Amino acid sequence: MSGTGRRRAPWIAAAAVAPLMVLSACSSPGAGAEGDGEVGGEVRMLVNITDNLTQAKWEALVAPFEEETGVDVKIEGPTGQSVAETFPALLAAGTAPDVIESIFPTVDTAPEILDLTDQAWVAETPMVDTYSTDGRTNVVGVGTQAQSVLYYNKDLFAQAGITETPKTWEEFDEALAALDAAGVERPIAFAADWATGVQAQQVWHPQQNLTTPAWQQAVAGGESTLGEQFEPLFEHLSDWIDAGYTTADDVATDSGTQEANFIAGTVGIYPMGSWFTTTLAASPPSFEVGVFTPPVDEASDAPGPIGATLAYPYMVWNGSSNVTSATALVEYLATDEDAIKAQAAMDSFSRPGLDVSTNEYDALVQGLVDAAPELVVPGNQTVGDYALPVAGFNAKFTELVQGLWQGRSPAEVAADLTAWYDAEQTG
Amino acid sequence: MSASNATLSRGRTSSSGVSTPDAGDAPASRGTGRGAPGRRTPSASRRRRIDVQRLFDGALTIPALVVYVGLMVVPVGFAVYYSFTRYNGIPSQSPEWVGFDNYLRIFEDPAGEMHSSITVTVVIAVLGSFLVNGIALGLALLLHRPSKFNSVGRAIMFYPHVLSALVVGFLWQALLGPQGAINALMTQLQGTTLPFLSDPDWALYTLVGVIVWAQFGVQLILYIAGLQAVSPELQEAARIDGATRWQVFRHVTWPALAPTVTVTIITSVLSLLKVYDVVLGLTNGGPGDATQTWAYEILAVSFANNRVGLACAQAVLLIVAAGILSFTIITMRRRADEGAEAA
Repeated sequence: MSGTGRRRAPWIAAAAVAPLMVLSACSSPGAGAEGDGEVGGEVRMLVNITDNLTQAKWEALVAPFEEETGVDVKIEGPTGQSVAETFPALLAAGTAPDVIESIFPTVDTAPEILDLTDQAWVAETPMVDTYSTDGRTNVVGVGTQAQSVLYYNKDLFAQAGITETPKTWEEFDEALAALDAAGVERPIAFAADWATGVQAQQVWHPQQNLTTPAWQQAVAGGESTLGEQFEPLFEHLSDWIDAGYTTADDVATDSGTQEANFIAGTVGIYPMGSWFTTTLAASPPSFEVGVFTPPVDEASDAPGPIGATLAYPYMVWNGSSNVTSATALVEYLATDEDAIKAQAAMDSFSRPGLDVSTNEYDALVQGLVDAAPELVVPGNQTVGDYALPVAGFNAKFTELVQGLWQGRSPAEVAADLTAWYDAEQTG
Repeated sequence: MSASNATLSRGRTSSSGVSTPDAGDAPASRGTGRGAPGRRTPSASRRRRIDVQRLFDGALTIPALVVYVGLMVVPVGFAVYYSFTRYNGIPSQSPEWVGFDNYLRIFEDPAGEMHSSITVTVVIAVLGSFLVNGIALGLALLLHRPSKFNSVGRAIMFYPHVLSALVVGFLWQALLGPQGAINALMTQLQGTTLPFLSDPDWALYTLVGVIVWAQFGVQLILYIAGLQAVSPELQEAARIDGATRWQVFRHVTWPALAPTVTVTIITSVLSLLKVYDVVLGLTNGGPGDATQTWAYEILAVSFANNRVGLACAQAVLLIVAAGILSFTIITMRRRADEGAEAA
């Protein structure tokens, strides 16, 4: 026995030490890191993967860059629910990607993002001023995605006797009543999850920015509250719910199904961003689609400012071991004409000075953008001088606004929104 | 009855009904012979061999200990530490010590979001564990006898547990959504629909139903295993004494199943306290916050907004609550056993 014990002793020691060695090996810094300064090597890019933005399309998009520079671009989809959830998790794990697409810097992540202000090409990218903070730029985009777009079914409008698209809230209510009276199944459609909050804000952008230009700064400065900003919208929504123009089923129906409902011809008006045109082009409805901007109080103010966001926002992680190649990739994606058109074909947007329309629906939205007096940023903007100083606005807004469909009053929802903002601000 | 007799008695009336010795019957110093009358005192070399053997035995636990400490103790320790900080989880930014601020935020709940998720979680844990165990026990009583039909039945009943919880959520969302298969069928047959996922109360109870469907398979297997260990002789004896089926179940089967019931209740409550994936797939916490569980609040709200300190405080409270519940259930079961023995 003792002999066996002695023979085993080295193995025991090895068994005890091995896990420690493995741990120390795993934690050694710089494993696999390579020198920076030249374009080459590997670049990891975290992207949004959707029905329109597939892995194959992303790989095809970066293929010319890879061919030209020799950089190996690895496309990675989110490991969590979204890129917004995945990126901080990867940062925490020390495995952040070199390039991040589809999200904006936040108060928390901004220190981890490369300052691109000194790159000469950055000034030519769209909405660069809107997304800069104190003149510094750490996110660039490819185009502008219009948010405040109301798609409508021209056949159903004709059936309801509506000859002109509504400009004011009063006309809008009349149009909904006419659609309802004509037997339209869903006079206006909202969808579940993130879509409810986004759609509600989309409807409100023009009037909100007419009433309180730079409303985010007013809220951040304490001159207004979130509740005050959105209570009039909640009242409109509440009236539509009470009238049965939109039902509780809406906020339990995913956006894909609701888009299919619109295409099937059962929806009168569908608020959604300009990216919906790609879906429409892929499955053209049998009826003619029209677009108009959300209503405002006075007809003379129509069309009001349009909510818009940066299409294909790109950021570079400042901890990347290959910053040069990552920056070169972003420059290619944001400035190369072919790359811009390829991205517009994947998920449509508009870009000043460049025709990127790929279908008839893009052209309709482009018309709205051209006619808008101003492009304004929505409430979920997390970077730039018009960002609300809290995180998680869209998710909380969606959660609270859905309460309207469950019988909560506009005042209650508005009060809860203000309470949430105050709680988030105080930490 | 003396203490030793009581120990012996417990050993003889074990849950399985089989006369197995318990810890009190085990030899206290197996292999050493130390203190045994009439034996020689071990030599120095023998004691050394024994020490080496003990060292060897202890060393074998080191890899498991390293894994346990690395994967359980250290992360929980960090979670407790972070719960007292304001931290966004990004390693290059240091946590800021804030004392009990995160816990105060949870208890005060200024935005009215935490307490509602506690209510949702309690409803799911209480109602869900009651239903999971009730259904699993009922089906186990039907399916525990060996037969081909019962084997197929068990496989079918266990099948939902094989599916990923996320898939279960999406599957039932497709079935129960406003335009799901069931409502489509109801529209065709009756011209009406049911608000399975669009009404807050309906959505919560639908969620409980789906969770029960997904989870009862494991409890069913545990109950079947427990029932198969119940002594058929005791049941037969009770029947011969004139006991009805209910009396046999109440006075023979149920007491023998008690340890299994304790395990199934604890495991079901613990798993229901941390329900997240099904919520994500089925309702995503909606409509409004009607189905936001505590785990959803931690993972989809606090962590998602980089509030790691707050999320850790929420997680620590969940661990504490789970621990208290588990010990309470175990203590209640022990007292019930002691009460039965005293009677």
